[in-house]
Amino acid sequence: MFYFFLRRLSVMVPTLLVISILIFVIIQLPPGDYLSTLISELQAQGEDVDQEKLNFLRQRYGLDRPVVEQYALWMKGIFMYGDFGYSFEHNLPVVDVVGDQVFLSIIIAFTTILFTWIVSFPIGVYSATHQYSAADHTLTFIGFLGLATPNFLLALILMYLANVYFGISIGGLMEPHFLDQPWSWDKAVSIAEHLWVPVIVIGTAGTATLIRRLRANLLDELQKPYVNTARAKGLSETRLLLKYPMRVALNPFIADIGNLLPQLLSSAAIVSVVLSLPTTGPLLLRALQSQDMYLAGFLLMCLSLLTVIGMFLSDLALAALDPRIRLTGIRQK
Amino acid sequence: MMTAVGRRGWNLSSIALSLVLALGTGGAARAGEATPKTYISPYYFGHSELSGTLPEVGQRLPKIPAVVRFAADQSPGRHGGTMRLLVGRERDTRLMVVYGYARLVRYDRNYQLVPDLLEKFEVEEGRIFTLHLRPGHRWSDGRPFTAQDFKYYWQDVALNPELSPGGPPRVLMVDGRKPVFEVLSETVVRYTWQKPNPHFLPALAGASPKFIYRPAHYLKRFHIKYADPARLKRATAKQRLHNWSALHSLKDNLYRFDNPDLPTLHPWRNTTRGPAQRFVFLRNPYYHRVDPDGRQLPYIDRVILRVSSPSLIAAKTSGGETDLQARSLAFNQYTFLKMGEKRGRYKVHLWRTARGAHLALYPNLNVADPVWRGLFWNAQFRRALSLGIDRHEINQVLYYGLGTEGNNSVLPGSALYDPSVRYRWARYDVKKANELLDGLGLTERNDRGLRLLPNGRPMEIIIESSGEHTEQTDILELVHDSWLKLGIKMFSRPSQREILRKRVLSGQAMMAIWGGLTAGIATPDVSPAELAPTNPYQFHWPRWGLWFSSLGKQGTPPALPAARRLLTLYRNWETATSQDQRARIWRRMLELHADQVLTLGLIAAIPQPVVIGATLRNVPEVAVYHWNPGAYFGIYSPDTFWIARGK
Repeated sequence: MFYFFLRRLSVMVPTLLVISILIFVIIQLPPGDYLSTLISELQAQGEDVDQEKLNFLRQRYGLDRPVVEQYALWMKGIFMYGDFGYSFEHNLPVVDVVGDQVFLSIIIAFTTILFTWIVSFPIGVYSATHQYSAADHTLTFIGFLGLATPNFLLALILMYLANVYFGISIGGLMEPHFLDQPWSWDKAVSIAEHLWVPVIVIGTAGTATLIRRLRANLLDELQKPYVNTARAKGLSETRLLLKYPMRVALNPFIADIGNLLPQLLSSAAIVSVVLSLPTTGPLLLRALQSQDMYLAGFLLMCLSLLTVIGMFLSDLALAALDPRIRLTGIRQK
Repeated sequence: MMTAVGRRGWNLSSIALSLVLALGTGGAARAGEATPKTYISPYYFGHSELSGTLPEVGQRLPKIPAVVRFAADQSPGRHGGTMRLLVGRERDTRLMVVYGYARLVRYDRNYQLVPDLLEKFEVEEGRIFTLHLRPGHRWSDGRPFTAQDFKYYWQDVALNPELSPGGPPRVLMVDGRKPVFEVLSETVVRYTWQKPNPHFLPALAGASPKFIYRPAHYLKRFHIKYADPARLKRATAKQRLHNWSALHSLKDNLYRFDNPDLPTLHPWRNTTRGPAQRFVFLRNPYYHRVDPDGRQLPYIDRVILRVSSPSLIAAKTSGGETDLQARSLAFNQYTFLKMGEKRGRYKVHLWRTARGAHLALYPNLNVADPVWRGLFWNAQFRRALSLGIDRHEINQVLYYGLGTEGNNSVLPGSALYDPSVRYRWARYDVKKANELLDGLGLTERNDRGLRLLPNGRPMEIIIESSGEHTEQTDILELVHDSWLKLGIKMFSRPSQREILRKRVLSGQAMMAIWGGLTAGIATPDVSPAELAPTNPYQFHWPRWGLWFSSLGKQGTPPALPAARRLLTLYRNWETATSQDQRARIWRRMLELHADQVLTLGLIAAIPQPVVIGATLRNVPEVAVYHWNPGAYFGIYSPDTFWIARGK
């Protein structure tokens, strides 16, 4: 177990290094840089640009240097000073830009995951145990409907209805006057009022997939002889279901934890953009669009780090929970 | 010598611009009004004044405050209230500098330059500028605003090789030579150039102005020459910056308005440090303008800027989440906004816009393909293309006939407007266009009726767009139909702004669609740089523009005689000493442009929806929405907008 642990950890470092190179290269691939994007954006709005100032900035930010050199400087900053670079757009060190957003992203993602699980577990189990019943068909139909509806469209419609009928302000995660205020009970209530739209919107698709997977997994297990044996021995239906097939059917969910961690940060970027949520998704999108490369790089590095850690954790959890997984596989070869 | 004293004397000055826009309001009232005897402080500061943390209003104002004169559609108001605005980006805090529009000199509603922060200014021979500050004028932190602030900027910022590696900004240089800067007294400074500098005053009055002053008392603590080196070093390291000049530039951003500690002269000062979703601007206690009754402006206490994704702004507006909105609203949302008027408690008005063309086609004279380049260089060919566009149809189909058709040229309302220039080669005439093309020997056609190029290929023009607006694709569809009647097939190719620009500059793109002249309501004193090859972002001659802007280091010199002629005219404009001369040059350039059809203007003056909250007063209903000159709401003085009591 310890070996396994160590090996997985040591693989993470080169993985992250390779990812960082990829990220940097891909961010640099589109033509131009932050400043040229800035110019065209200002000009498209009919504003004029100070050419001298731009040349000056280009020099200061080192945008006129070759990519390799820029990458080296970035890495040097991270390893030597813990400096992840500077956001051109916000005029701040990137670490300072990503603040509240992380917290709100985590709230949304966490609520959404909770919502998804609470809705889909009972439905999944029910439709597996009552396969092809009327209720199974109805629930499946609704699930597919959720899967097939484009998220952003649902978001727009719900947002409009919420505004017209409940008077909830359009977009955002709280009423405007709570923005940038210290935390208070009223602010939390306001967030709760606004939270349901994004949670439902982001959750619908996830719910449907989860239901389908749980149903399929369970059905597989329910056919197996050990279920019959247990039933023959007189185990009650509920106890039987929860204790054996359910446990096996859960394996894919544990393997999924690896994906959950990065989701906490990047939760549903498109929906967040449509709903104007102050989360990291839109921040990342903006940074990529305006080629604010250090900010984009920082966010992407965070996501990769979380993915790698998440994978590591789910491997550990699987190894611990599923007795069929042997850690010794490779060494036996 | 010409003297301009206050607003009244300014009318006499011969460099004044005499453009009166037909605004329907008859222009601003100009009756002289004496300075009020007593001043009225906003209720907002009542507490601070009583407790002594703030001096009383008479001491906060300059000795001679600027007295606002209301136009016919404006009236004196009351203090108080909050105005909410929606913006698309955090960076848009700069809009408060644009809207606030406190400038050394500013444009009034008739586009004449008048002193604002300055009490008066004098111009001799177009090259000696004497600026008189208002005695007793203060920054928003209460410290005096004096000639020292100009000196600090000139000596320690503009001439500092680390803060300004490229030297002083170009508008302060004439033929590459610096002005002589003198401090005549605590409130008088003078700039003297060898030759006339027509760019100077307009740059001070611009929507994004040149700030030739800085709050020296604040910034000195970040300047290596004045600050304690150890503390400066600590502060630099704390911001994770590498040298003091980076820190200075970070703190010193009067335009971006993102540093709450930086004193300002604008009606509202920023109190929120980013990153934030909501920025609160509070009234500047030392603002220099008063209304005729002596009330210190601005009327409105607080302005709140809320950041939201631009695509949601129309929806939020209709939900009543803003009091004054034009940004991120477009003409095609007009009906939607109108529908929401009652629910959102606002009114929508359509303001005129002032680009020479809302959209124009730019045949790339630097295109790499030699056959196409040959054709594009031929004026007859460009004329034929222009004649072959049915602008009336575009206007009717997409803009309910509310736009103005014609060339990419100045609009009615500009002193330089001439209908014959606006419509030359711009009336739909398929027969004439076909004759012109036949006259060029392009008579061969293929079996689909397309004309053939001299090298036998069918005539197919690809127009590239930035791919951001479906409106452009719609227009191009109509152009496609009408050009087909000339035997020319057109394809549109949406790409992305940066890529489009690259492709145009490298000659890969044949033709682009983009907005037209920004100086659509130009006066003779506005720079005609857009009409000459001066900038690599001009899509019809990017390489020639690059040549000029890089001082001959990159690009190629203009080869087309018309382009060379325009460049010469532009240089003449820069050295012209009288307004008459400048007007003549402008007209000549516009004429040349229209006759040569260097760009193909499609449609202009597309109205801009402006949403005004039901209780907000003094925002004109009929007006022009324009960046420069105009600063969007700026020239209508948002400091005089006020909020009526009511529900």
